[in-house]
Parts: sequence; structure tokens; C-alpha cells
Amino acid sequence: MDYQTLLQLAVGGLLLGAVYALAAAGLNLIFGVMRVVNFAHGDLMILGAYTAFWLYDRGGVNPLLSLTISIPLLFVVGWILQRFLVYRVVGQPPLMSLILLWGVSLVIINAGLFFWTSNVRSVPYFSGGIDLAGIQISRSRGIAFVTALVLSIGVWLFLQRSRWGKAIRATAQSAEMALVCGINVNRVRLLTFGLAAAMAGAAGNLLITILALSPGVGPSFLLKAFAIIVIGGLGSFSGAFIGALVVGLLESFSAFFINAQAADAVIYFALILFLLVRPGGILGQRE
Amino acid sequence: MATIARSMLLVLSLTLALGLTACATRTGAPPSEGTQAQPQEPLRIGASISLTGRYDRTGKEMQNGYELWAEQVNATGGITGRQVQFVIYDDTSDPETSRNLYEKLITEDRVDLVMGPYSSPVTLPASTVAEKYGYPMIASGASASDLYTRGYSNIFGVYTAAQLYLDGAIDIAVRNGYRTVAIVNENSAFAKDTVAGAKRKAEQAGLQVIFEEEYPNTVRDLAPVLTKIRPLNPDVLLGGTYGEDSTLLIRQMKDLNWTPRIVAFTVGPALPDFYQTLGEDAEWVMGATQWEPGLRGEGVAEFAAAYKTKYGYDSGYHAAGGYAAGQLLKQAIERAGSVDNGKIREALATMDANTIYGAYKVDATGSQVGKPSYMIQWLRGERKIVWPDAAAETAAVVPLPEWGRR
Repeated sequence: MDYQTLLQLAVGGLLLGAVYALAAAGLNLIFGVMRVVNFAHGDLMILGAYTAFWLYDRGGVNPLLSLTISIPLLFVVGWILQRFLVYRVVGQPPLMSLILLWGVSLVIINAGLFFWTSNVRSVPYFSGGIDLAGIQISRSRGIAFVTALVLSIGVWLFLQRSRWGKAIRATAQSAEMALVCGINVNRVRLLTFGLAAAMAGAAGNLLITILALSPGVGPSFLLKAFAIIVIGGLGSFSGAFIGALVVGLLESFSAFFINAQAADAVIYFALILFLLVRPGGILGQRE
Repeated sequence: MATIARSMLLVLSLTLALGLTACATRTGAPPSEGTQAQPQEPLRIGASISLTGRYDRTGKEMQNGYELWAEQVNATGGITGRQVQFVIYDDTSDPETSRNLYEKLITEDRVDLVMGPYSSPVTLPASTVAEKYGYPMIASGASASDLYTRGYSNIFGVYTAAQLYLDGAIDIAVRNGYRTVAIVNENSAFAKDTVAGAKRKAEQAGLQVIFEEEYPNTVRDLAPVLTKIRPLNPDVLLGGTYGEDSTLLIRQMKDLNWTPRIVAFTVGPALPDFYQTLGEDAEWVMGATQWEPGLRGEGVAEFAAAYKTKYGYDSGYHAAGGYAAGQLLKQAIERAGSVDNGKIREALATMDANTIYGAYKVDATGSQVGKPSYMIQWLRGERKIVWPDAAAETAAVVPLPEWGRR
């Protein structure tokens, strides 16, 4: 087992991890602000992916350019979901949001199957690899990595510096106090869901340049995003990135050392382990 | 945090439970029918085909073959004076859906005859339904050995057995002095059969199989498997694949900047749109094929021309298989002198026949023993038969050049 192969695997896993991190950070935002687990998150990613596919299929559009469409589009979708559906279950028992968003997920999956069929799609716009000291970096992964990183930094800056970003963080700390301070909490929630959906959509847009996807695979990405935020630390933005590193590496190494089917199982296992032993995750509070 | 963790656990376990039950729904698309009915009652032939899903590309090809055959037969008066009418449903490449659809076709739609679906995994349960009701089924799109080891009397194969698919690549490897072989395959009946046969043949020929791995048919990323193979540096890569995974393998081999000297896959490279999807990356890839338009044989040239005229591109072996199955059905009916399923079964089991696929003859289990399989290679954007010598249009080109030097 030479170190070069190990490095190759690690790099491959990390590059993909950044894209997962972008989606996971969105899931984390929703959870942080509204204490709701967005069960349709993986499907929002698929919507973003299919936007990129549709544009590529019809017009050969560069998937990076497609981001200018998929991001605002998914923002609107997220906004609408919050405005008409999700607001009803904020503050309610978790079972209610689970059922509601699972329903949304089913609707999205079946709408996807209806419009695009169950065929597997990809956007092979960037093909080939770059040799970096003996390690092959596939161009699609490399470009997706950089883009995901840029977008994540953008969101982080927004949350840290801008007024609305601070309002979001304040609401995540305590919705009541935020209300008392004059923050329009409803607006914040709309913005949060929209933003998170946009992040999921962007991640999906990037993902379809690397992997082949079909409408039904949303839930498996939800699992990964979920594992990422639990492992990284619920409610922690940077936690999503640590978690993504871990999940990306786990995925890559287990596919290599065991086989392709094992990767999901290993991630489930790690997720359960963390929930039992350290539910706060790596960066979250201790139990 | 504790309450959050607990609700997370609740939510997680509910997710797992729901995840097991919430599979994507299957669409039972409305039946598409062949030609118009004539005053005499039409002869209705039922089938489910993979029009969407993992095997959609090959399923559509097969449907094209069925439709072209029906069109031509009806233009010359149909079979025993009755117009042929296909009743086709989309099984979305799912075996269980196909099973349900064949039940529906036989019991509700009351079709007169049935034809096979595409792919071995789907044909397995479909043929069980046909066997149950005593409807002979011509397996026009499947070749796994499992189909013929169940003691059924209602299944008849058109394709040469799966185990022989990759023989050509092994022969070419031996001739060129190559020694080592890596094998990957989808973990379904047909693919397993092809690589089992390939492995046996490779070892008999003195080659060394240095790597074997299976992947699930839901795989989206084959980079880890390829990363495992690359440092072993095999001369030959054999794949028991379908369309999606063979395309994915080539793409990811390019991403990893690696290629062995011979690349041979099943199904995928024989698809007419393999080159369209991959472009120049498909060059030099070899594929197992049951039939090619360049073969010399009765009716081949006419079929190839008619197909090209109707659909605008050269037919692959899946469409030709559908067409040949139609030809066999017609010959069986004519030989039996009736459209009674029992008599047709008898005819199919015993007859020697010829179709565009070549000679047809089945053994006692229904497995095809009359025709060989071939190997093609994509050369200058076209599929050319390179093996066996008797049928070859041109010599195989090996080794494949490195990615950077193309």
C-alpha cells in the first residue's frame, strides 16, 4: 500500500467533501435558526443538479455559468417552502417537521421522475485530470472544490459581517431575544431557508459535474449532509467543514479498502457512533 | 444539546425506517401500440421494455427493433393475415415492475403472445410469469445462464450465452503477448456470468487475473475502484457492464489519466450512442456484440439499411435482437400453423431457423447454441468487427495509446 495511492484517495475524498460541506452548512443553518431538520435537503440539491443538467442538455451551458441560474432559483424555492409550508412546523415537535419535509421530499422526487425520468444524468463538461506531483486531480473535482470553497467563504462572510447575516445568527441563538431586539424573525427564517436551499442547489449543480445522478438519489445525500453536521457539530458553521473532511475521507477510503457499497454503511456507522458517544460533534458542545 | 441529540436519534431512526419504504415510485406508462388494426382481429404481442431507468438506452434500441419488424410484417399482410400490434409498457429497468407488467399483460390486457424485456435481471422474473401462464417468451434481450437453469420450458434465447461475450478480447490479448487481466463488473446476473466466463477462459489461456471487483448497479462513482487497479498496471481491463457504468468507467479512467493496453466491456461499447456520449474518449474501446450491421448474412444488409432510413443511425445489436426475435416468432407461428401458445412453444423448441442474427437453434433448456458472439472496436468513430477472424472487418488495434498522446 504505497503512500501515493493513499494520498490520491485522500485528495479525491477531500475535494468532493467541500461540495458536501456547502450543502451540509445549509442544512446546519436551517437547523440552527429553526430547529428543523430539512428532510428535503438532498432533493433540493438534486433540483440544483438538474437545473445544471437541463441547461447543459439544451444549450451546452458551462455548469459554472448555470450557478447563476440554479442559485437564485433554489433560493426562491426555499423561500416559498418556508413561506407556505415550513413556518407551520417551526417550534412544533420534531415529528411534525419530519413528516412535512419528508412529504416535500417525496413530491420533489416524483416530480423529478415525471419530468426527467429515472435515467441517470451527468454534466461531463470538465473532463480529464491534472497531474500534481503524481496525484491525479480530476478537473471536475478540482473546479467543484474551488467553487464550493468560494461560495462557502461568501456565505460565511455574509453571516459574519452583514446585518442580515448577524440577524440570522442572533435568531439562531435565541428567537425570542431576537424578536425583542426588533429583528423581523419571520423575515430571517425566510431568508435562512432560501439561503440554505440556494447552497444545496449550488452543491447539486457542482455535484452533477462529478457524479452521475438521478431524481431518486436525494435522500442519500441528505444522509451524508446529516452525518456531516452531526460529526462536525450541530449549529456550527465551520463544524460542517470538519465533518465534511471526515465524511469525504471515510467515503473514499471505505470504497477503496472494502468496496463501493460499503461507503454509505460506514458513514451511517460513524453517524450512529457520534450520536451515542459525542452527540455535540467535534466542534459542538460536549454532552 | 441532550434533547437535541435525542430528537436527532428519533429522527434518524424514523429516516431509516421511511427510507426503506420510500423507494421511488414506478411509473407504469400508458401502453404504446404498434400499427392500426385491420378488419381481422390484430395479433397482440405484449412486452415490458426498459424505456427509462438504468437500461434505458438499450431498452429503446430493442423497442426500435420490435417496431421496425412490426411495420415491415404488417406491410406484407401481417402474420396469418392478422396485423401485428405491440402492447408495450415501461418497466423502468426494474425487475419487479416488469413482473407486475407481464401479469397485467397476460391477465388483464389478455395479449395473444409475449416477447421478452431487456436485460437478464429483468427477464428473470418476467419469464417466470410467462412460464406460469404457459406463454412462450423469446428472450430477445438477455443472455445470463440463470435463465436456462430453472427447468422452464417457455423461454427461448436469441443471444449467445453471456459467458462467451468477452472471449474475443482474451484471444486478442493472448495473440499480442499480454499477461495480466483486471476484471470489474456490476453485481447482477448477466454481468457476473460474463466475467465468470471471461475469467475461466483467461486462466485457460494462460493469462493471470490480478484483480476482480464487483460494484452495485446503483454506483455513481467508480474512481475508488480504478484507483485500486491503476498501481497494479494490468495489461487488460475487462468489464461486465451495461451502458451507464461503461461510460462512467471511461470518463473516470480519463480523469485518473490511466488506461491499460486493452479495454473491453460488455453492452456499453456496442451501443450506437457510446461514441456520441464519450466522443473521442471512446476510441479504441472494444465491446462484446451479438451482431453488427457489417456482418455477412441473410437479410442483414436490408435490415441495416431499413433501420438507418427509419431512425437515422446504424443499428446496434440490441435493436437487431428485437427484430430477430420478431422474425423467429413469425417463423414459429408459420411452422406451427397456428397462434396457439402450446404449438408455438413446440416450434421454437425444435426448429432450425435463420434470421438476421444468423442461425437459430436452442438446446433442451432453451439456450441459444446456433450463433457465435463477436468483438467490435471503435476505430475512427465507427464500430468495426475485429474478432473472430472469419467475421472481422479489420484487425484490432492494440495497445491503446496513453491519454496524453491521442
